[in-house]
Amino acid sequence: MKTLVTEHLTKRFLGLVAVNDVSFSLDAGEILGIIGPNGAGKTTFIHLVSGILMPSSGKVLYKGRDVSYTPAHERARAGIARTFQLIHPLENLTVIENVMIGAVFSRGQSLKEARKSAEGICESLRLGDLGRDTASLSILEIKKMEIARALANGPEVLFLDEVMAGLNTDETRQMISMVKAIAKERGLAVGVVEHVMGVIRELTERVIVLESGELIAEGPYSEVSKNPRVIEAYLGGAA
Amino acid sequence: MKRNTLYLAAAAAAVLAAALPAFLGAYPLNVARSVMTYMALAVSWDMLLRSGQISFGIAGLFGLGSYASALLVLRAGMDPAMSLVFATLFTGALAFTIGFAVLRLRAMYFSITTLALAEIFRIVLHNLHDFSGGPEGVVLPGVIFGGDTRALYWLCLGGLAITLGVSWYFEKSKLHLALTAIRNDETSARSSGVDIFRYLLIAFTITSTLQGMMGAIQVQSYGFTTPETAFDANFTLLPLAMALLGGIHSTLGPMAGAVLLGIASEWLKLKIPYGHLVVYGIIIVLVILLMPRGLVGLARKRRTGRGA
Ligand SMILES: Nc1ncnc2c1ncn2[C@@H]1O[C@H](COP(=O)(O)OP(=O)(O)OP(=O)(O)O)[C@@H](O)[C@H]1O
Ligand SMILES: [Mg+2]
Repeated sequence: MKTLVTEHLTKRFLGLVAVNDVSFSLDAGEILGIIGPNGAGKTTFIHLVSGILMPSSGKVLYKGRDVSYTPAHERARAGIARTFQLIHPLENLTVIENVMIGAVFSRGQSLKEARKSAEGICESLRLGDLGRDTASLSILEIKKMEIARALANGPEVLFLDEVMAGLNTDETRQMISMVKAIAKERGLAVGVVEHVMGVIRELTERVIVLESGELIAEGPYSEVSKNPRVIEAYLGGAA
Repeated sequence: MKRNTLYLAAAAAAVLAAALPAFLGAYPLNVARSVMTYMALAVSWDMLLRSGQISFGIAGLFGLGSYASALLVLRAGMDPAMSLVFATLFTGALAFTIGFAVLRLRAMYFSITTLALAEIFRIVLHNLHDFSGGPEGVVLPGVIFGGDTRALYWLCLGGLAITLGVSWYFEKSKLHLALTAIRNDETSARSSGVDIFRYLLIAFTITSTLQGMMGAIQVQSYGFTTPETAFDANFTLLPLAMALLGGIHSTLGPMAGAVLLGIASEWLKLKIPYGHLVVYGIIIVLVILLMPRGLVGLARKRRTGRGA
């Protein structure tokens, strides 16, 4: 049984179909790329899978269970975690507190236990000085904190929405190896949204391509990148 | 060491507050009671504010507690001390029920609905002549503890102590994480497993309960009330101004604001009997414009060289 499956997943916003009839699956230990031009529906797709948005039609199956309309906090507890493309500054909590939230509310740990597991996660991401408030963090540190927050849930499925955006080459390389290590160590099913194709090529074994909400291609990046429909979608977006 | 000094200071303040009747006469003790009542309301208002929800319903819950306590004594023949407990629980139970509706709302819609609810409570009690005494209000057979000034002071201090204790628990427990996460960003809080409605309901119910408790204490300490006194807009406006002045999102800020404004308001009431509300209004505006983090924020800024 695949860890995460969607069947004909569709989301309409007043006439606009942001995600259109998308069926896919993601398995434990796999890193999947989700690519597509701006406005293709990648973020909306993650919202649907994580419960931030409810589908207009179609299904989300998690470990065989239908979670299509399960509230986001329950999906988080069940093991579906994600980061956010648009990160709002959380200036009222320290770094460690930000990370602890997931451990406390998704895993039901006490404050003490949560602090410990949050420290462990931050260490594995090489994120230090945890008593700081988040206003002083660099972009790299903010991205790491986002990943740490998601990992604190103790997830089995993890979606990363453009966590490499805004990082320089060195930082990106660092992030790629970190994501790979974490995914392997925890046996996670990972979905990665990125615009930088180099990242997709290095990180993922398989990609799905969205365009105007539709899944137009699927396969290893090397194949998909030669697919005429995909080339068309990207050129069309750039024109 | 910082934590220890804090506990020591808190313990010293508690002893001092409890011992105050030994040094003060009736008038200052009554002023102190008023300050403590407003302080409890300001802190309780802030506790919900930590989740980002701005309530304008303090007077409504305060008045509800007042009337519940008075009517339990008058209509059910309950012992006054007992009525404090049951009026408090009644307010909490009602808030819990109302919470299911109002906590679906956010921002301005939440604030205005809480304000409207307070007004509805007042109008209902105003018009239920036979049950609630209508516009003339209710007169109790007597004041609790035979009206002994010191006993009334300690009763009010007890109510305040409970409020401060709960507020401290809010700051130290996982409620702090839940409420702050909700205030920061509900979407990201949900993705971390926070059941937003549940924690808002907890905060709304508990803070309403505390406000009802202070109302019950108030009515038993005066022996009478009317819809206009129990639901006086001052019970909403003053705590708000106090919390803003002292610094929101903490226990200490609203406490400091309550001491300053509470004492100032007594003085203002004597100097400009009908104009003092205008002065509060001006204070609210000035504080919001000039020091959005209040006095506590200002002090913190001094110490660390930047905003809290
Ligand atoms: N809440 C909403 N209401 C209405 N339309 C929306 C909403 N959220 C997204 N959309 C629209 O849905 C489409 C898909 O948006 P989405 O953010 O999922 O794209 P994306 O693939 O993540 O794009 P990007 O690469 O720019 O992040 C866009 O046309 C967007 O304007
Ligand atoms: Mg996006």
